[in-house]
Amino acid sequence: MPEPPIQAVSTPVPDVDVAGATTSPGPAPASPPRAGLSATLDKIAPTRGERLFLVLSIFIGVISGLLVVAFRIAIEWIRLLTLGSAPHGGQFRLVFAPAIAGLVVAALVIWFFPAARGSGVNQTKAALYVYDGFISFRTVIGKFLTSALAIGSGHSLGPEDPSLQIGAGVASIIARNLNLSRRRLRMFAPIGAAAGLAAAFNAPISAILFVIEEVIGSWSAAVLGSLVLSAISSVVVARWFWGPEPMFRIPSITVRDPRELMAYAVLGVFGGLLAPVFSLSLGYLRPRLRTLPRWSLYLQPALAGLIVGTIGFFGFPQVMGTGYDVIDQALHGQFVWQLLLALVFLKLLATTVSFSSGTPGGMFAPTLFIGAMLGGAVGGFEKHFFPHLTGTVGAYSLVGMGVLFAGFLRAPLTSVFMVLEVSGNYSIVLPVILANTLAFLISRSLQPVGIFEIFTQQDGLDLPSMEEQREEAALHIEDALQPVTVPVVNGSDTLHAVSQAVSEAHATACLIRLIDGAWYAMSADELTSAAATLTPETPVQRSLKADRTPLLFPDMPLESALHFFPRWPLLPVLNRASRETVEGTLTIDDVLRCYRSTE
Amino acid sequence: MATPPTGIVFTPEERLARRQLMLRDAISLLTLFLITAVIFVLTLFLFRSFTNHRQELGARWKARGEAALREGHPEVAIDDLRSALAYVPDRATEIELATALADAGKTQEAMVYFTTLWESAPGDGTINLQLARLAAKEGNEAQAILHYQSALDGTWQGNGYDRRREVRLEMARYLISRREYNPARTQLLIAAGNAPDDPAIKLEIAGLLEQANAPQDALGIYRSVAARRDSPVAAPEGAGRTAFALGMYRLADDYLSRVLASPLAAGLPENEKTTDRDMEDTSFHILLLYPAFDLPPGKRAERVLSLTKIARQRLTSCSGSSPSAPPRLAGLVSRWSQVSTQLTLHDLEQQPDLEQTIVQLAYDTETITAQVCGEPAGDDALLLRIARNPSAMEQE
Repeated sequence: MPEPPIQAVSTPVPDVDVAGATTSPGPAPASPPRAGLSATLDKIAPTRGERLFLVLSIFIGVISGLLVVAFRIAIEWIRLLTLGSAPHGGQFRLVFAPAIAGLVVAALVIWFFPAARGSGVNQTKAALYVYDGFISFRTVIGKFLTSALAIGSGHSLGPEDPSLQIGAGVASIIARNLNLSRRRLRMFAPIGAAAGLAAAFNAPISAILFVIEEVIGSWSAAVLGSLVLSAISSVVVARWFWGPEPMFRIPSITVRDPRELMAYAVLGVFGGLLAPVFSLSLGYLRPRLRTLPRWSLYLQPALAGLIVGTIGFFGFPQVMGTGYDVIDQALHGQFVWQLLLALVFLKLLATTVSFSSGTPGGMFAPTLFIGAMLGGAVGGFEKHFFPHLTGTVGAYSLVGMGVLFAGFLRAPLTSVFMVLEVSGNYSIVLPVILANTLAFLISRSLQPVGIFEIFTQQDGLDLPSMEEQREEAALHIEDALQPVTVPVVNGSDTLHAVSQAVSEAHATACLIRLIDGAWYAMSADELTSAAATLTPETPVQRSLKADRTPLLFPDMPLESALHFFPRWPLLPVLNRASRETVEGTLTIDDVLRCYRSTE
Repeated sequence: MATPPTGIVFTPEERLARRQLMLRDAISLLTLFLITAVIFVLTLFLFRSFTNHRQELGARWKARGEAALREGHPEVAIDDLRSALAYVPDRATEIELATALADAGKTQEAMVYFTTLWESAPGDGTINLQLARLAAKEGNEAQAILHYQSALDGTWQGNGYDRRREVRLEMARYLISRREYNPARTQLLIAAGNAPDDPAIKLEIAGLLEQANAPQDALGIYRSVAARRDSPVAAPEGAGRTAFALGMYRLADDYLSRVLASPLAAGLPENEKTTDRDMEDTSFHILLLYPAFDLPPGKRAERVLSLTKIARQRLTSCSGSSPSAPPRLAGLVSRWSQVSTQLTLHDLEQQPDLEQTIVQLAYDTETITAQVCGEPAGDDALLLRIARNPSAMEQE
């Protein structure tokens, strides 16, 4: 089908604060495409959109990768300037730096960059589902500046989700300058998101999977191709700068004894129990802070910074900022399990207040941090009391990262691949799959609504839940299938014979099996018309129209049968092994009845 | 980007629009390329300055941490080395950090850290040594010995030969502290066999051998060092001390006299000098008492007669001090009763067998009376020393 192009540049949508308020007045959302221009483009360059889609994916990947590298450097520079090169307990700057940065960030967000608030994942989903892929240049700049300032000054947030939104924003800016169709324009946001996340994680597969699992929910070959191109381009750029090493230096990990999986299963259970605690904390505090008077919005990030800074001041500076270096240390077994356990709860507290205060920044890094600390604590505890366990504390930390990712962010597939990608170690796959699955199932049973859906509901948006979509049981043709009650005749049978069969059966239609294996569903009216114009001895196949009933099989989606009904009175459902065998028939009433019964 | 579709005829307007579209797309992509190049240059500039700064910070914090560690401030070193690792992670710094943790008394943390390092490099000598020390501190002897052994067998950066010897000596010290003298002696003998020709190292090994109840082995090393022209005073002193302990009083007297006569003795601590002097004095008197085989027969017979008198008096006083004489003393009394009280020098000179029997009886008398009546004093004490290892008296 030709795609309707739009002049997206001329039809910007308002910057949207996913907190719920439209924060800047602007023109209405994208207007319908101009049919004339569309037709012209379809004629003079029918494959232009498809090719541009792929070429731009590479540009988006490269630019996103560069911006994400610059973003991480900005965070590090700000950290050095605000917290010093070696922050440790007892330094007063740890208290003041995040508090003052919180004030500045609040002012910037409220006055200049309202759409920069939040993590970036839901904002990108909103761009995809609500605003035709529109993310403004101002949002990208705002996200970059405010997130870098907040994270660099010690707020307990991560750079991955902002990177995702920066990537999506870059894609949106590039795409809407090239007169692409609304559908393509919409799809550029997730492509940029994959690029941003891939560069931030240095893990292209995880980024692609996350975007599929959490943002778009499904994929087609064309979209997957662009996702892969953009993710790979951005990772190539990131690796050009940071080197080919994985994000964390992973010590050698082996699982020597299969019985040790039990120990990892225990970690999965703990992760499954902790994830809802994290979700509920955020779900409780975030809306309550938002209901406070507007003037308090200026102070909330500062207060959050003060709390995080105080935790750092009293001997736990590890909770400040992204915590990548602390994760790395935990992976190398540099902490005792008691300290790791303390860090789990302190980081949870620090992240809850930082995020709930509306400070821009992501949830990925804190989730990985808490997971790694939890894994290390559980592993350290188990190894202390069961010293025969051969897995290192670092191995438990690594699995722990995936566990909380699966349990809290509810991206089980991504969590497995993320651990494999950041570790570069396939031998850890069994513990990861086991522990992540347990964490995911336990977390889901205790807290059915995922964290992104909680935020969506709190923000008053109506975005599709990918988790719910995955859980939805799709209806198939076999669910509406009915036994054959109409006469089944051969194409060579005479009109008279067929009319008699239909009449005797009191049927409204009949199924005609043709010599070439095709089928035809003939209504009683059509049969009557044919009988009126042709002799009774005429083979019925000579009275048929040119088309044939579609090939339908019981396992096909029920919706695939819907659009054939205006044409056919009923549809034969065939056996895949023998197309001459009719498994049953389907009428529009059968389909509708089936849909109604599942409501 | 617009590819002309085959078989489609364009109107002049469409052809123009197509050309314009192609031009526009080309300009757009070129612009995009230029923007990408500009962003790349800016990012590269940022990145270079950032990585250089990180390297500087890493080196600075590492140097500070190492200095703090050298100066004995492990708590400070921990923070510094952690900071260094955050900027420039490398294995050597990790080991230093773990060492600082251990030095700061954070044994459990250090143990966890080193264990993780060990799991990725089980053959690393430094890591095994630190784990051995931590296990020793924790009182886990089996683990300590295992890691000491792994450290000996492991890889070392730099001078592995010297480091292995140091580890071996440390392991020996640990074994001595655990009273595991035999394995300690084994390690020390290996160390001695591989030691370079350095008097200080040899003297250290000899000292440890003494502590490991192996004075014979220590004596050999002391003597070899003492034989050097530039031997430190500790070598003859050690030789004299160990010879004295082994009952080789002639040798002890020789070495200790040499030490005390040496001008280097002035540098010895006073208590050490007093001990040396006492040992030398004792040795001298023992030698005066001992009926050596190389003495002229008359002189030897004189000494045997003297021993007889000393031993008889000791037996008499011991028997008198206990109300009921134990059977062992009765045995001695019986044996002495068979020896004539009128023995002369001539008798002894003529009967070497009798002379040897009487010497042995005197030794037995001192040994048994010491067990029954307690340690003697004076000549009895000297005689008892000879009695404990008479064969040593003849050794050179």
